[in-house]
Amino acid sequence: MPVLEMKDICKSFFGTYANRDVCLEVREGEIHALLGENGAGKTTLMNILYGMYQKDAGSITIDGHEIVFKSPKDAIARQIGMVHQHFTLVPTLTVQQNITLGLRDSGYPFSRERARCEHIDRLSDSYGLKTHSRALVKNLSVGEMQRVEILKLLYRKAKILILDEPTAVLTPQESDHLFAMFKQLKAEGCSIIVITHHIQEVLDHCDRVTVLRDGCSISTVETKGIDAKQLSTMMIGRELVPVARERQNHHMDAPVLELVDFGFKRNGGKVGSVNLSLRQSEILGIAGVDGNGQKELLETLMGLRDHEKGKMVCCQQDISNASTAERRLVGIGYISDDRHRDSLVLDMGIAENLMLRPARSTAATQGHMVNKQCMLEQATRIVKEFSIKSHGLQEPMRFLSGGNQQKLVLAREFIGSPKIIIAFQPTRGLDIGATEFVHNQLLAMRSAGCATLLVSTNLEEILLLSDRIAVIHEGSIMDTIENKAVDITRIGLLMAGVRTEGAAR
Amino acid sequence: MKRRDDEWVSLLIVIGATLLVAFGLIALVGSNLMVAVSSFLRGIFGSSYAMSEVLVRATPLMLAALGVSIGFKTGFTNLGAEGQLYMGAIAITATALVFPGLPPIVMIPLVILVGFAAGGAWALVPGFLKARFSISEVIMTIMLNYVAINLVGILVRTGLKDPAYPYPMSPILPESANFMQLLPPTRIHAGLVMALLMVIAVHLLVFRSRLGFEMRAVGLNGRACHCSGIQVNRATILSAIAGGGLAGLAGVSEIAGLHHRLIEGISPGFGYVAIIVALLGKNHPFGIVFASIGIAALQIGSMAMQRTAGVPTSIASIVMGALILFLVIRDSRQSIAILEGV
Ligand SMILES: Nc1ncnc2c1ncn2[C@@H]1O[C@H](COP(=O)(O)OP(=O)(O)OP(=O)(O)O)[C@@H](O)[C@H]1O
Ligand SMILES: [Mg+2]
Repeated sequence: MPVLEMKDICKSFFGTYANRDVCLEVREGEIHALLGENGAGKTTLMNILYGMYQKDAGSITIDGHEIVFKSPKDAIARQIGMVHQHFTLVPTLTVQQNITLGLRDSGYPFSRERARCEHIDRLSDSYGLKTHSRALVKNLSVGEMQRVEILKLLYRKAKILILDEPTAVLTPQESDHLFAMFKQLKAEGCSIIVITHHIQEVLDHCDRVTVLRDGCSISTVETKGIDAKQLSTMMIGRELVPVARERQNHHMDAPVLELVDFGFKRNGGKVGSVNLSLRQSEILGIAGVDGNGQKELLETLMGLRDHEKGKMVCCQQDISNASTAERRLVGIGYISDDRHRDSLVLDMGIAENLMLRPARSTAATQGHMVNKQCMLEQATRIVKEFSIKSHGLQEPMRFLSGGNQQKLVLAREFIGSPKIIIAFQPTRGLDIGATEFVHNQLLAMRSAGCATLLVSTNLEEILLLSDRIAVIHEGSIMDTIENKAVDITRIGLLMAGVRTEGAAR
Repeated sequence: MKRRDDEWVSLLIVIGATLLVAFGLIALVGSNLMVAVSSFLRGIFGSSYAMSEVLVRATPLMLAALGVSIGFKTGFTNLGAEGQLYMGAIAITATALVFPGLPPIVMIPLVILVGFAAGGAWALVPGFLKARFSISEVIMTIMLNYVAINLVGILVRTGLKDPAYPYPMSPILPESANFMQLLPPTRIHAGLVMALLMVIAVHLLVFRSRLGFEMRAVGLNGRACHCSGIQVNRATILSAIAGGGLAGLAGVSEIAGLHHRLIEGISPGFGYVAIIVALLGKNHPFGIVFASIGIAALQIGSMAMQRTAGVPTSIASIVMGALILFLVIRDSRQSIAILEGV
């Protein structure tokens, strides 16, 4: 008997359907995957279940009782918990405070901090979550924040856990941990709904999968007896033809970007230092476990943090102390891993977000004025080229699905033929089709002479795209190797901080 | 379409609720409702002079509210319009008294410029501190109001005092510094034209120019703008200067158009009411035109009500407060509705 049944759910925004007659049935003690392209309506469906949105039509039954949730509060009372695609933590509070936010336990209004902390630590130990209840959330890595979000659900004793793209921000090892934890929860009788774009995860770890396409549920199938190809066909409605990538080596010129003993401050008072050079028409992948200084390094490269020592030379120009705007004008594009914080103005439209670059590098600026027509034309072109789904160019970014927001960021950084692109998790939250598209775009930029610094915690992506691979560990580069018949174990060891003697070239 | 209708209905509810508060208060002070209402309306529409007074009062409100709205649009919470207005007033008085011989063609642009500069400089202080050291502008701008108001108090007793009179006020300014009267015998003056021109200028700046785009974006997500290579500090400082400058012009307009000398209390809280006007006008320059006339009418009408029906003008302030409260409630409900997409 299913614990949860959603039947014929409809929801439209401004007259277009985000969900249309969607059915979802989740059994007790199963891991149920929700699969679909960007904008297929996965988040919307889960938000309806969680009481964030009110459905237009349809019914939701839990344990055989039809229910109506007016707000997430009702859902939580029914032991439903959700981790959102974009985290909802308060950075300035501690882990414990975030988890217990809004709860009244015995002794209210006095909080028994000690008991709470102990409880949380016990919980996190028993699921192998490794979080410290007194740490400040703003000092955590995304992986750790993810675990805090999950602890939040466990603390509230959720029986049905919804996770919106939890693995998008995780390294493969972290993802494996996550699913191992799901299995433990499953054994305890919880049901878990996971949204993901990684088909392999669905096949490896989930029991059943429901596929959404264009707001409709296509079907629900057991993951046993289905393969990746069939799934992706269900998802995009056609077969995905992997594009053959030309891997021919381009003529490599002098380096466009050189980091000489480039020191940067890391969180927690540590200092990192790297030596790197990046040549024209080259993709240099930086592999590493999340939290080894990648974010700090990239932010220092963009001038968002002060650098410690050493030099950053871009096209014979020392830009170690240049402002972010100056670096942008030199021709550096930046794709941050946190699009809401660093890349988008959520309350502005698509067209205006495309103008978010230094004035001199925007086509739609004429003298001091904005050329509205030019701005809209550009936006129309880009929306088409990148197939961004929206209700119009003036629609606030807030209402776009996660993947479509990411596409817009990429599009903006690609216009104006940058010399260097610094890409941090560029395919975070994109569906397989869109990921393909972005990979091809990055390769096209490479052919056009652009140098790319690709930082990703997804090793596959790095192996697929890079010409050379540098491995970062604890803020320094362990080694840089050509991406030709590389030894994965060696990379794995380097990522763990082990330099094998014999492997030294 | 449905959304449009809802908006009108909720607006009617807000107006109804506000009227209810007003009537309740009038009844509370024991006045005759009919007399009060009729004297209120006659105070506004009773004669062409009454109507002109509404426009006279709307002028400084419009200018100061434009200044406040620029700040609100760009994330610079400027609650210091009152002080900036007084700085503008000091600037015009000092300039006109120091250079009394200048012909109007030089004098008028000069006093407008220095008035703008003085108001702008007054807002630049918190603007700079915010941009450079992330110090909250809210408290700074409020505190600078007191400094400016008391600075006027000192100046009209010392440096700018009229030696011919024992009262704390400046001498009458030279005639070359007077704004033209547009429709004598009413008191409507060229300041109104200036205000309307500024409405257009602000519209162009905020909604059409590149700088305005940057200022709005910075107001919404400063971090993203910084990452995108937009000069956040520059945008913050320029928006502070523009906002303060416009409030400074309100002071210039009051002196050059009405008082012709600096006295204490030339502004009965225009700078504070401007915040309400900006909110009512949704921080949009065209909205502010209507909001400033509306609030001016409310104030003028309530003064008439006090004269004829003995209803204290403080009721007007309470009604304004209630109106804002209702509107805020309405807006928050609406934005919830928008998020839910209904
Ligand atoms: N609050 C909203 N207002 C208006 N439109 C919305 C809103 N939320 C979602 N949409 C629209 O509904 C559609 C489905 O969005 P949803 O976020 O559910 O997609 P998704 O399947 O989660 O995609 P992704 O994988 O990119 O996160 C999108 O086209 C989106 O623009
Ligand atoms: Mg989503």
